Amino acid sequence: MIFPKIKKLNIVFRHCLGGVLLLQSLTACSSTSPNFTAAGAISKSKDEIVVALGWDDFDDRGFDPTLGWNYYGPPLFQSTLLRRNEKLELVNDLAQSYSISSDRKIWTFTIRQNVRFSDGQPLTAEDVAYTFNQTKQSGGLVDLTMLDKVVVKSQYKIELHLKRPQITFINQTASLGIVPKHAHNKDYFKKPIGSGPYRLVQWNRGQQLIIEANPDYYGTPPAIKRLVFLFTQEDATFAAAKAGRVQIARIPSSLAVQQIAGMKLYARSSDGHAGLMFPFVPNTGKKTPKGDPIGNNVTADRAIRQAVNYAINRQFLVDNILEGYGSPAYTPVSGMSWEEPNAVIKDANANKAKQILAAAGWRDRNSDGILEKQGQKAEFSILYPAQDTIRQGLALAVAQMLKPIGIQANVEGKSWKEIATRMHSDAVVYVLGTYDPMVIYNLYHSSARLGGWQNPGYYANSAVDSMLDQGMASALETEASLFWKKAQWDNQTGITTKGDAASAWLVSPDQTYFVSTCLDIGKLQSQDRNYNGSILANITAWKWTCN
Amino acid sequence: MQLTNYPWKFIWRFLLQKLLHLFLLLLAVSVLTFVLVSLSPVNPIDAYIGSDVMRVGAEQRALIAQRWGLDQPMTTRFFLWLGQLLQGNLGTSITYNQLVSEVIGDRFGASLALMAIAWLLSGFFGVILGILAGAKEGSLLDRIIRLYAYTLASAPTFWIALLLLTVFSVKLQVTPICCASPPGVLLQDVTIWQRLQHLILPALALSLMGVANIALHTREKLIEILHSNYALFACAQGETITGIIWHHGLRNVALPAITLQFASLSELFGGSVLAEKVFDYPGLGNATTQAALRSDVPLLVGIVFFSALFVFTGNLMADLAYQVIDPRIRIGKSAS
Repeated sequence: MIFPKIKKLNIVFRHCLGGVLLLQSLTACSSTSPNFTAAGAISKSKDEIVVALGWDDFDDRGFDPTLGWNYYGPPLFQSTLLRRNEKLELVNDLAQSYSISSDRKIWTFTIRQNVRFSDGQPLTAEDVAYTFNQTKQSGGLVDLTMLDKVVVKSQYKIELHLKRPQITFINQTASLGIVPKHAHNKDYFKKPIGSGPYRLVQWNRGQQLIIEANPDYYGTPPAIKRLVFLFTQEDATFAAAKAGRVQIARIPSSLAVQQIAGMKLYARSSDGHAGLMFPFVPNTGKKTPKGDPIGNNVTADRAIRQAVNYAINRQFLVDNILEGYGSPAYTPVSGMSWEEPNAVIKDANANKAKQILAAAGWRDRNSDGILEKQGQKAEFSILYPAQDTIRQGLALAVAQMLKPIGIQANVEGKSWKEIATRMHSDAVVYVLGTYDPMVIYNLYHSSARLGGWQNPGYYANSAVDSMLDQGMASALETEASLFWKKAQWDNQTGITTKGDAASAWLVSPDQTYFVSTCLDIGKLQSQDRNYNGSILANITAWKWTCN
Repeated sequence: MQLTNYPWKFIWRFLLQKLLHLFLLLLAVSVLTFVLVSLSPVNPIDAYIGSDVMRVGAEQRALIAQRWGLDQPMTTRFFLWLGQLLQGNLGTSITYNQLVSEVIGDRFGASLALMAIAWLLSGFFGVILGILAGAKEGSLLDRIIRLYAYTLASAPTFWIALLLLTVFSVKLQVTPICCASPPGVLLQDVTIWQRLQHLILPALALSLMGVANIALHTREKLIEILHSNYALFACAQGETITGIIWHHGLRNVALPAITLQFASLSELFGGSVLAEKVFDYPGLGNATTQAALRSDVPLLVGIVFFSALFVFTGNLMADLAYQVIDPRIRIGKSAS
């Protein structure tokens, strides 16, 4: 979820205002006496809490799952066929059981009986069929183009037919909220009716969302009966947290060093990863369908890509660019259960980088500090969106780390439009959320080389393709994981440093929250480096522990 | 003013001329906005897909483009949009997934209250401060007012807004930090007082700039009047300064004040974009930034269209107000 062009643009807009830092530093000084009886504060009880998570996108578009609402967590108002628990394991939700046919194309779900929508109508297989069909054709954010057709077998049994085997379809069944066929219309996005743990009370666009427990919910009733989501921007969120007006505040890690009375800092591993995407092929004059150049003669050399990976000091990037709130990333899926542990390298190793370069024939023949090979200088550009200060910091730091090994990286801040035309021939700083293995497929499978944001470097390796294809054709997520791991590094080849070094993954930033000391959202103590899904994954288990 | 003698013929001609102006203005504005936004570096489909970019395949991308008509070239889209407009439809916003007219309708109410309060405040205090400063030209009071006005006139709105937010909401905690109503309160339970409380800071931030402008111009004009021959004559007849201002000054001072006040509607609109951003106030200003950041052409054109109408109305009202205040610039005066 951190490819946030929009969110980033937003943040940048506010940074353009220039005064944000001023506000932040001024609020920083006023930490002495938080006044909890301030104007506008509302009395807190164990039943109602106020949270500010900064949901810009969904606040704008509303809560229609067929167009994309879910926030990578529970859709709150609707329920899903399957669900991920706080350990990211798949569990049944609406589905009582499911099976995948031997050709992996027909997924059969048997759903719970006696489930009711919040308007009292029963939820049946017809509603599930309607939801999937509607989502497929609505042209929203949910890509169901792999879905061939939906067959209702009985009132509580349904078959989803896929065009081709695709195990990652399981993520769609775990995120697509089922909408009522009888009450789904163009205004549904502002008045959602569903069978989830909560129902919508009031939504003031751009301001707040008030939800309360759905008395008809079939699962464990949530302990927090009423939640108010504030759609404030970072600075206002922080100010509100300081004033004691919110119980969970998502804040940028730059503010995490501060203290707020009555609140604890909660750093959570995110599924976001930042890294350099390299052009994988040499420049032979080929163009994308849109006419953009493909290939780079320097980064097409595996030695260069490997040397970059070994030379970078990722812990330094975490400590200095992310203020310590994050972890080094060696694969695009660090912190996920399907990360290949053997793909991790010992980095900050300039000597190893130099050896690799020397062995590949890169030498500094004219003593200008930059290596050459066959008349080609070891020089390439790193592009980043000009308004994104984190990516800028990463790019500049990486360029500094490459100098000692004789690689000249020219860092250039550009607009998204220009990056889109140059990303197949220059290295680009990518930031991606990779909780869905589909992302890996779209980044590294040769079929994704279409001249878009997916597989920008035109990477292709038939062994990796084969692993990814076999993973897609798996019958179980756990089985697919083995193939996702092999695609990273199978002791011979793979996308990571020891193999093709198709990218240089750098860091995985944390999401930082201030959480009221009275609020138990589970796992507050745990400091594990694994991604545990959305902070809302266990919302029904949240508890208020004070009186 | 006798209505029967009033040159209605000229009024009609004046209004027709204005309508023609308006039509040409709207046409130019919509073409320009359309072209400029279409050339912006933000790809609306990329903006719509946002963080899901790796999960949305090429086929789905084409479907999205088709749904929003973004698979057509700009000129085709413009004429499709124009066709829709003739049927009274401003199009659908990709950002809000809603009809543009609905988005503007939802948000203009909030912005209108904000702008109206700011507008009245700046007009009222601007004229009062300007008269005080002009009447006591060179005094300490004059210098204080001028210092205040120059400082504010050169301070950007967002900076003032942040300062107000820091002092009143964070330090003193007497005003809310954001939004148009208190968190967690149902709309029907929000009191007028609470609404005003949420309005006061953004309105104050917006009005402060206008105050400076109007105060300085009013002061200049008043000084000019006080140094005029007719003021000297009145003075010679024993009229006091208060009397001169009251009988001779106000009408004359009102002219620049009214011109500025109505002309400031455009600045007010622009200022509200920034103030609403800082205070997270859900008005039209906030929607404007969203539309621009996401290359949401129909919404941005809709808002620009609407704001052009708004500013035009302001200027028209200023023109009409002159008729009442200053007989010398009455329409058709020279002809009748």
